[in-house]
Amino acid sequence: MKVVELVDVYKIYKTEYYEVKALECVNMAVKEGEFVAIMGPSGSGKSTLLNIIGCLDKPTRGEVIINGVETSILSDRELTELRRDTIGFIFQQYNLIPTLTALENVELPMVFRGLSKAEREARARELLKIVGIEELANRMPREMSGGQQQRVAIARALANNPSILLCDEPTGNLDTRSGRQIMDILKKLNEEERVTVVLVTHDPSLADYVDRVVRIRDGKVVEDVF
Amino acid sequence: MYFELARRNLERARARSILAVVGIVIGVMAIASIGIFGNTMKQTVLERFQDEADTILILPRYTEGYSGIDEDDVELIEKVNYIDYAIALKDERGEVEYKDNKAFINIYGVKDEDDLKKLYNVYEGSIKLKGTAVIGYRVAEDFGVEVGDKVSIEDKNFKVAGVLEEQGMKAGISPDMAVFISMDDFDNLYDQEGYSLVVIEAESIAYVDTIEESIDSLINKKDEKVEIRDFQSLIESVEESMNSMTQFLMAIAAISLLVAGVSILNIMLMSTFERTKEIGVMRAIGAFKETIVLIFLMEATILGVVGSVVGAVLSLAGGYYIISMMGFSTAYILHLSSAFYISEGFVVGTVTAIASGLYPAWRASRLEPIEALRYE
Repeated sequence: MKVVELVDVYKIYKTEYYEVKALECVNMAVKEGEFVAIMGPSGSGKSTLLNIIGCLDKPTRGEVIINGVETSILSDRELTELRRDTIGFIFQQYNLIPTLTALENVELPMVFRGLSKAEREARARELLKIVGIEELANRMPREMSGGQQQRVAIARALANNPSILLCDEPTGNLDTRSGRQIMDILKKLNEEERVTVVLVTHDPSLADYVDRVVRIRDGKVVEDVF
Repeated sequence: MYFELARRNLERARARSILAVVGIVIGVMAIASIGIFGNTMKQTVLERFQDEADTILILPRYTEGYSGIDEDDVELIEKVNYIDYAIALKDERGEVEYKDNKAFINIYGVKDEDDLKKLYNVYEGSIKLKGTAVIGYRVAEDFGVEVGDKVSIEDKNFKVAGVLEEQGMKAGISPDMAVFISMDDFDNLYDQEGYSLVVIEAESIAYVDTIEESIDSLINKKDEKVEIRDFQSLIESVEESMNSMTQFLMAIAAISLLVAGVSILNIMLMSTFERTKEIGVMRAIGAFKETIVLIFLMEATILGVVGSVVGAVLSLAGGYYIISMMGFSTAYILHLSSAFYISEGFVVGTVTAIASGLYPAWRASRLEPIEALRYE
């Protein structure tokens, strides 16, 4: 089953004087349980591609189908629900809410979904355990290392049992050792929990972890290797 | 969780939040304490009038050519139900002289000593009207007259039997600047047909209308002979003008709250700029626009409620200070109607804070998640 499907996707930024084609006729699909890396040099459009898959950005033209749902017809509210329930985001800068503890950060997507406090807390603790930092539950983000913060971010991304994890340079701000630990967690989630992972990176060493590499250059898919 | 989030965000910028709260505190205090002050003033003035509320005055209708009220009509009035007492008086402006002082003062003819006793209390001497006079407090003061002295009214000598207590307006007469003599003496001095005034005291305020209707149907049946006056409308208009003065003062005080509102608007706007990325993250992981609005409005509400509660409590002290500074009695501060002004201050303060949060909250919710995430 295809979790993500892009059909003839274009993303064109237009100004009065020039036009930038960030994405040009992109066709790709991600199957359930896959671990895909989107690779390419900076400015190649890989982040734009990830944002479009994550319904944070809309394509100028083309279809984006998530879990069988054509997203172009969805309202802002429906897109928000889709992001909340189906997609988990992991950012390069972790992007935790600075005023919330690790546990509360993990609870947040479940708050948005309207779960009870007891349910949220139980699930958040379980997730923190999965990413190996259950003892840091009451720490504030500023009291944690980058690697620890990224683990919280992974736990948060998993909060609502998403069908797909989207990771934008998840190891970009980390040292090699922490980066490897994060990748190990993602790999483990992919293998043991059957979580679909789409990862954007320009670090070729991460290619070892993934099932498939989609290479992108100047907004076009140039290679799709299994 | 949203409340916690809002609270912690306010704590994160503690100094800023405290300043915003102080603004609200000052605004609410200004509004509520001025309200309390105005209310005290109103209660004090009304209290002075309250004694008069059950008094009815019957006057000849001069515009219809009647210059006095007949003895027959007075007798009719005296028989009306629910009347505590009805006192008929004659009056004339007369020349009063004591030593070298001479002045024109209201001279009242009273049928019975007891009538005068019902109306006023004596300050010195006693109320006796047998060839003697009872004088008002200011007359005694201004002329330097004491009990036992002789004053001349229209060149006829009267011994002063008593001086009345100072009391301002009472029973439609200002007794402080008046002289009271017996009706016989009055008739000897002046040639006046009929009475110029009947003062009626109702058994209770509730009967005022009934009494007025009976008198009107008894005496004004054929001809509009008498005019019936009471103090209800006067009390109402005093109350009304006091209220509008208080409202006016409160409106001026509200300007300080407006300034506080602008400062909340300012800090909340700054907050939306600073937290653009945070808003983007929340939108990305599943927060609806309404959720963002809710979080920001909650912050404004916390500022408003905290400021208004503190302001409301302090307004009691503020009200006390203004009232005692202006020399009014502070007895009315804890009056039930003060609670109204305190809650008005509280509500206006809270609403101002929330209203000031509306625009920043709306702005924050309108951020596109992708733009907000890119914001550095």
